[in-house]
Amino acid sequence: MKELLQYILDGLSIGSIYALIALGLVVIYRGTGHINFAQGEMALFSTLVTWWLHDKGVPLLLAIAISAALAFVGGALIDVGLMRPAGRRSAFAPVVVAIGLFQGLNSLSGLLFPKSGQGLPFPSLFPNKPKDFVSIFGAAWRIERIGVLAVVLVTTALLFVLFQKTKIGLAMRTVANDATSAKLVGVPTNRILMFSWALAAVIGAIGGALKAGIDTNVSIGSMFSVFLLSAAAATLGGLDSPGGAVIGGLSLGVIESLVGNYPHDWPASDWIGIKTKTVVAFLIILIVLLVRPSGLFGSSRVERV
Amino acid sequence: MSALLTVRGLSAGYGPIEVLHGVDLDVQEGQVAVILGANGAGKTTMLRAISGMIPRTGVVDFNGQSIIKTAPERIVSLGVAQVPQGRGTFTDLTVDDNMRAGAYVRHDHEVVSDLALWYETFPRLKDRRSQKAGTLSGGEQQMLAIARALMSRPKLLLCDEPSLGLAPLITKALFQTIQRLNEQHGLTVLLVEQNANLALDIAHHVCLLETGLIIAAGSPAAIASDDAVRRAYLGA
Amino acid sequence: MTSTLRARQIRYGGSLHWILRAIVAAVLVVLVWRMVSGAVPSSLGKYTEAMALAIAALSLNLLFGFNGQISIGHSTFAGISAFFLGYSIRFWDNIAFVSLVEACVLCFLVGVVIGLPALRLKGPYLALVTLAIAYVWPTVARQFIERKVTAVTGESALTKFLVRPPSWTGLKNTRQDRALYLFWVALALMVLCYVVVRNLRTSRVGRSLVAVRDNETAAAVMGVNLARTKVLTFGVSAAMAGVSGWLIAAEIGTVDENSFTILTSIKYILALILGGAATLTGPIVGAFAYFFADDYLKRHAPHWNWLPGKFGDGPIASFLLGVLVIGFVFIAPQGIVGLCRRIGRNIATVVPEPIRGPTHEPANEPNNLPNNLPNNLGESTS
Ligand SMILES: Nc1ncnc2c1ncn2[C@@H]1O[C@H](COP(=O)(O)OP(=O)(O)OP(=O)(O)O)[C@@H](O)[C@H]1O
Ligand SMILES: [Mg+2]
Repeated sequence: MKELLQYILDGLSIGSIYALIALGLVVIYRGTGHINFAQGEMALFSTLVTWWLHDKGVPLLLAIAISAALAFVGGALIDVGLMRPAGRRSAFAPVVVAIGLFQGLNSLSGLLFPKSGQGLPFPSLFPNKPKDFVSIFGAAWRIERIGVLAVVLVTTALLFVLFQKTKIGLAMRTVANDATSAKLVGVPTNRILMFSWALAAVIGAIGGALKAGIDTNVSIGSMFSVFLLSAAAATLGGLDSPGGAVIGGLSLGVIESLVGNYPHDWPASDWIGIKTKTVVAFLIILIVLLVRPSGLFGSSRVERV
Repeated sequence: MSALLTVRGLSAGYGPIEVLHGVDLDVQEGQVAVILGANGAGKTTMLRAISGMIPRTGVVDFNGQSIIKTAPERIVSLGVAQVPQGRGTFTDLTVDDNMRAGAYVRHDHEVVSDLALWYETFPRLKDRRSQKAGTLSGGEQQMLAIARALMSRPKLLLCDEPSLGLAPLITKALFQTIQRLNEQHGLTVLLVEQNANLALDIAHHVCLLETGLIIAAGSPAAIASDDAVRRAYLGA
Repeated sequence: MTSTLRARQIRYGGSLHWILRAIVAAVLVVLVWRMVSGAVPSSLGKYTEAMALAIAALSLNLLFGFNGQISIGHSTFAGISAFFLGYSIRFWDNIAFVSLVEACVLCFLVGVVIGLPALRLKGPYLALVTLAIAYVWPTVARQFIERKVTAVTGESALTKFLVRPPSWTGLKNTRQDRALYLFWVALALMVLCYVVVRNLRTSRVGRSLVAVRDNETAAAVMGVNLARTKVLTFGVSAAMAGVSGWLIAAEIGTVDENSFTILTSIKYILALILGGAATLTGPIVGAFAYFFADDYLKRHAPHWNWLPGKFGDGPIASFLLGVLVIGFVFIAPQGIVGLCRRIGRNIATVVPEPIRGPTHEPANEPNNLPNNLPNNLGESTS
């Protein structure tokens, strides 16, 4: 019982990172109807910039803030310079560009940070010595995990305030719902999309730093699996539902953690365990999708082409 | 009286297809102008061209200022609001959010009081203010579309077939509302309508659009007395 | 892009057209001959790999170009087939060709099973499911190797399976002859896959594929059996990806869980985009272009001394390919084939004969990208 709680807590904090990146995916999907295949690599690039700044002596939090600001600009530039012109070409072109961007950013990271192939040491954002934990009903919850979860929850809360309570959030929701009508009420749809990309890039920068902090390492390959699991989380929750992304991310983290710690003396433990945790997680998502084709909380509106 | 909207030689279309072939139109401040025309004549296209939603050429002056090169969202903030054909409400947003989205171009602090004003005018919307717009009835959505357009405090309201799909009684009420807005709030209206009889009742100025050309324009009385028009549009 | 020159018109089926066709055929024969003559195993192997990539791109094109479905999971089918070849030869003493047929059937069946969700899922959701499959495959493959291979032989990969030339070919079991043999097998398989796609495209089935892509509801109303069309396409496409994986495995001679990853799938997609999606020859052209561009950049880019210092050592090839693909979206949205066609059209166009029979196959390949450029053949193509 104690262990179960422990696994759930661990899962929640990893899952919260998935949830955050998934939110970035949802923000772009709602605006454009496309999945940003480069989301993980955008996060990777920002995280490497953070690492570089920190390496040059900038305090970690300041480094994250600077790199998030750069990400904001970079995300906007990606939209203005690549995605929007591509969108004018054909409906599918942005997807191709995103895949090209995925490859380009990944190798650019390798070019600019040659040692990132093997992994660069990244400082933890929170105390992470063996003794740094609090005990909750007997389960040991590491401070760094609590910290990550807290940061994500606060970020998520801020995002929800942005979506629901601010004018720009309202504009984002109108664009997601019906871009033509949004223009008709005077929403500058292009600028809103640009903002969405910028926001997604910032989310990536924060998520990337959190992930690297937990791993105390950042390498070229580290964001790809995060992207995949976040994409899975967003799919599970429904690609156009921010709330769904959060719930999807957290549940995916918990599922992974539970499957990864499947007891050895239980049936089929030969097939369920740490090595197959992702397989099992994906199978569960597939089953959910078969029952609910647009995710748990996604709207089943006719897809935009 | 001066023309709030002046259109000269306006041409527009979709890609290679030209639908409007140089139309002229004047809408006087404080009046209700009505465009009549058969299906496919280009009425919707004309409104879209005025509001900048499609590429156009010619002259479009609003309030003495050329808006031919202006982006649609700028045109809205200049004071032209459009109720598109098929309403175009944000179905996933609540009624309240729809109304607030209508006020997007405004930067003053009277949004809340305007909200109250239009909820008073359309009490049915007030009862449903936290309901998603997609769950409203057709008539309610039409009201919402109009109320949303009014939230931008427009000088000119472009209204595309507001009676589409509404029951006769509701249509009548809707036209009364439009007339009231015109008379009490001094709102200038450019109305596209199939329901010629009702539209003529509230119109100050009428023009007939046929395959992308204005073929007749004048006062409602003059238009209504034209035999050809009577046969084609008034069913008598 | 209108040229002031009036493009010369070549009549479909006319003598000039046949001469053109003969020239193209001759060029192809010379190309193949140049590839084979005097080639060492390693360069033959490159051609084989390029052709395997072409087959994968063809299979993706069937799904994406003609049916509008996106799959990022095609590497998995290639992987299944590659593992099947390796395992069945090594442990069952299977005959290579039998294993090819069996692997295709297996991939077809797996493809159908995976294609079933495609019935319910729309665009991006389906893409993500295939992405997940590609992501999961290495894990599954690892488990397979550990349980079925390492446990028996102690090796950590499937190796030591050779595809030997049968005796009737007169080729011996040497490295050179095996490479030559595989080259011809690859060529034959690629041509076969091309013909299959081409016939599917122009057949009744093919037209229903395009109908499904362009408008599902309308296609259903017109009596296209949506479910069957979609699922079968997925199956056939998976089988074809299996052919590609089989070839790669036969050529390289060793496979493990890292042989077919998502990056492999992305390679397929890039090759297809480069050549021109929804054109018949696009996948082949794109695969060769991609393969040899990649090969060239990998060998030469590190030595470009005009590159700023350390850039030469990093994954410069991979970076340039990414840039290339993005550039292609803007320069040549319909790939190399589309670009050539656009240029060619200014020089000469093939026009169909005056209507005679009911079935007219357009001379140029049917071009079916949704946002078609104004096309001289427009009236006759669709
Ligand atoms: N998005 C579009 N793309 C291409 N052609 C269009 C488009 N919208 C309208 N058209 C064409 O333009 C012409 C005029 O259409 P428009 O919608 O302006 O007619 P309308 O007068 O509003 O008709 P209705 O009374 O039916 O609403 C029609 O022939 C129509 O087919
Ligand atoms: Mg209309």
